Amino acid sequence: MKLTSRLKPLGLAGVLALTAACSGADTGASVGAGGVDVSRLKLTPTTAPAAGAVASVNWLLEDEPESLDLDTQGGSAGRTVLSNVCERLYQLQPDMSVRPLLVAKETRPDAKTLVLTLRDGVRFHDGSAMTADDVLFSLRRHAEPEMEQSDEFAGVSGMTKTGDREITIRFKEPDALFTKALAGDAGLVHNREQVEKAGKDFGTPGQGDACSGPYELTGWKSGDSITLTRHDGYWGGKPLTKQVVFRWAEDSAMVNALSTGAADGAYLDTLSSAAALRGKAGLDQHYGPSTAALALIPTERGGLADPDVRRALSLVLDRTGIAKSGYGGLVEPWATPVGSGAWGYEKATFEAAQKKLTEAPAKPAAADLAKAKELVKNAKSAPDTPIVIGTDSTQGRLVIANAVRAALTQLGLKAQIKTVPSATYGEFYGDKEARSDIDVLVADWYISKSDPIGFYDNALTGNSNNWVGFTSPDYDNKVAEALRTIDDKQRAALVVDVQRQFSEAAVWIPVAQMPTVLAMNDELTGPPASMAYLYSPWAARLGAKKG
Amino acid sequence: MIVALVRQIGRRIAGLVATLLAASFVIFAAVYAAPGDPAVFLAGGRDKLTPERLATVREQYHLDEPLVVQYGRWLWDCLHLDLGRSFQYGDQVADLLAARFPTTLALVGYATALFVVLGVGAGILAAVRRGTWVDSAVVGGTTLAASVPSFVGGIALVALFGVELGWFPVTGSGEGLAGTLNHLTLPAVAMALGALAIISRVTRQAMADAGAADHVAVARASGLPEREVVRRHVLRNALGPIVTMCGLVTAGMLAGTVAIETVFGISGIGSLLVGAINSHDFPVAQAVLLLMVTSYIVVTTVVDLVHPLLDPRLKAQRSTA
Repeated sequence: MKLTSRLKPLGLAGVLALTAACSGADTGASVGAGGVDVSRLKLTPTTAPAAGAVASVNWLLEDEPESLDLDTQGGSAGRTVLSNVCERLYQLQPDMSVRPLLVAKETRPDAKTLVLTLRDGVRFHDGSAMTADDVLFSLRRHAEPEMEQSDEFAGVSGMTKTGDREITIRFKEPDALFTKALAGDAGLVHNREQVEKAGKDFGTPGQGDACSGPYELTGWKSGDSITLTRHDGYWGGKPLTKQVVFRWAEDSAMVNALSTGAADGAYLDTLSSAAALRGKAGLDQHYGPSTAALALIPTERGGLADPDVRRALSLVLDRTGIAKSGYGGLVEPWATPVGSGAWGYEKATFEAAQKKLTEAPAKPAAADLAKAKELVKNAKSAPDTPIVIGTDSTQGRLVIANAVRAALTQLGLKAQIKTVPSATYGEFYGDKEARSDIDVLVADWYISKSDPIGFYDNALTGNSNNWVGFTSPDYDNKVAEALRTIDDKQRAALVVDVQRQFSEAAVWIPVAQMPTVLAMNDELTGPPASMAYLYSPWAARLGAKKG
Repeated sequence: MIVALVRQIGRRIAGLVATLLAASFVIFAAVYAAPGDPAVFLAGGRDKLTPERLATVREQYHLDEPLVVQYGRWLWDCLHLDLGRSFQYGDQVADLLAARFPTTLALVGYATALFVVLGVGAGILAAVRRGTWVDSAVVGGTTLAASVPSFVGGIALVALFGVELGWFPVTGSGEGLAGTLNHLTLPAVAMALGALAIISRVTRQAMADAGAADHVAVARASGLPEREVVRRHVLRNALGPIVTMCGLVTAGMLAGTVAIETVFGISGIGSLLVGAINSHDFPVAQAVLLLMVTSYIVVTTVVDLVHPLLDPRLKAQRSTA
């Protein structure tokens, strides 16, 4: 589930990004017309509706998609393309809520059973009708152990076809997140015949698609471009844009292509590119909610094993300074480890709960510092050896690492930074050994489902992402209960409680939420600015401002 | 004569195979030893990095086997003319290469044409006007051009001719002949700039050596126009070292397009290689590096074979024999 921070080679690309400053790229230091005030980064889920038709649009990706079979190789480049071609049983809306799409009706005869009645009249691009067999085949393919989405099916005990247009799914335990997973890649519906015909080559250049969306994959020239063309037999509404041509470029090449108009738009994963493009003539930037956030993750090594020391660090961390100097003001100081894009339901509840979390101030005040010093003084086991901060050498992360060191120094603790190459940075997340000589990792995280509970299971006792060994029976019970609670309102109440416990123990230390950034030719409008672009047909909304 | 040539070519091919075999193992081991865990790249995003998932991925791609077994598996397939499938892309490695190699070849070919014409031209000019301000300007200018790393030159070129003036596209490799030329001009210039100094220097020196020969003095004394003397006697005898150097520089370029491809957003084998090494995509890294090694050997071999044909003295010996 890649959204931000593809573990990119930074050796050369990094040098280029740094030297891009002298290539006529604006480094975002000047806050011009398109400038962003750090204290109030305004996130809008959509852009204004489009009015006019467009023949062809040149879109940029940061990488060539590895594959257009998201079961074997998911990545944000492939998703950005395929969200326009392939449809899912449910659909993520621009405001991050989830609605049925290829499902006409959802019924739950009991808490452990989900019955999906399929929509009539859906046709794949080869003209064949979508059947229950196609849907069942697709679900079973997603669930195979080596496929990317297999973990979403961990709680499923059986999937069967129970009628001409009906699929019944049974669960070991009620699963509140399952329909949200079906709005992601676990809900992709493929044309069985086409997938089987392509065999091992499914999703590689030169193959067609096996989907039913508004656009058809009409060309993939390996190493050059991918072309999507409006599918005239689409069962839904007709898009304004006839053709979308995708190419890819990194860092300065991307910035140059967008500033010269060689490309019409891009969803930017790399915030430094967004900062460099700010205020460029002829280019609009839109910022939307995503689930991504920057955070500090304490490790098994235990320098931050004492929750009071972690709380103290959170209290004195200068999040505003980090947002300004590390990310050109494009991230927002944040008190939870999940971005606001995760609020796909009961938004007001989550918003209110977020405001009550006071131990992650944007700009530490004198009172915060006093409280933090008190916490460290009375801590049961304040560390006496230096706390080691793990990071790679990307600009943003280095700024965070230095801010953490400054904060710890303020608290009278010793700290040092350990910088590793970008190629090995990813190992911190997957390999206990790699983390054995750092106490805290400068990290980012995102979840693929728009529900915060999809994050909080990370702190369950014994979870592989719970490095610091936080354990609380009440927390574990509440998380399990929330995951079983189908009703949104009740689940939101449980999530808020879980979130409060997580924050009070400072299991992770939240830093900032990262937006989705859409840079686009100022004559165009329409697509969502939120993370929904990865899972719903954004190009179908794209068009000219003037009719 | 022909037999000797065939034998020489046979020896070369045997040498090539031995070199490739040794290189393939060294490369495999190097990619294996490079920092980073391939399973992390193949598992998906952050929230997929559970120990179970990583174990599944390692098994799926045979990453849990010893290095020698993995290499043996690759070599066995390779001997059956199967380069395998990319870990990262899931596509046939041969298809990935076929799609990207022409772009890199076009880029290197264009850069070669540029540095041969400009470099040799500047070298001749410096040699003919030896000791004048023209000579100093050529030597100084080319040295300055060579002292700037190609990717820095590339960034400067993009900033000026692409972004500011808008004369050339800033990314991609273009369609058709005109489009390709248009797209590849800046990157080819950036690559050629670094080669200008060495080529013009070698040309100037080779011309000086050839110009010092007795028969050149005889030709001058016999009243041949200076232009004829330079063309027929000096330049012809100087061609050997010039061609050899051009060949070596071109061969080096084939393996050195990585930086330029990144700056200009060109999908050639250079950028493919960087991605492959970073994500431990063994099959792709192997294939690209071996392709680069092969190209290098092929180019240098061709230069070696052409060399005797260029030297009139060698030719004269052969025709009297």
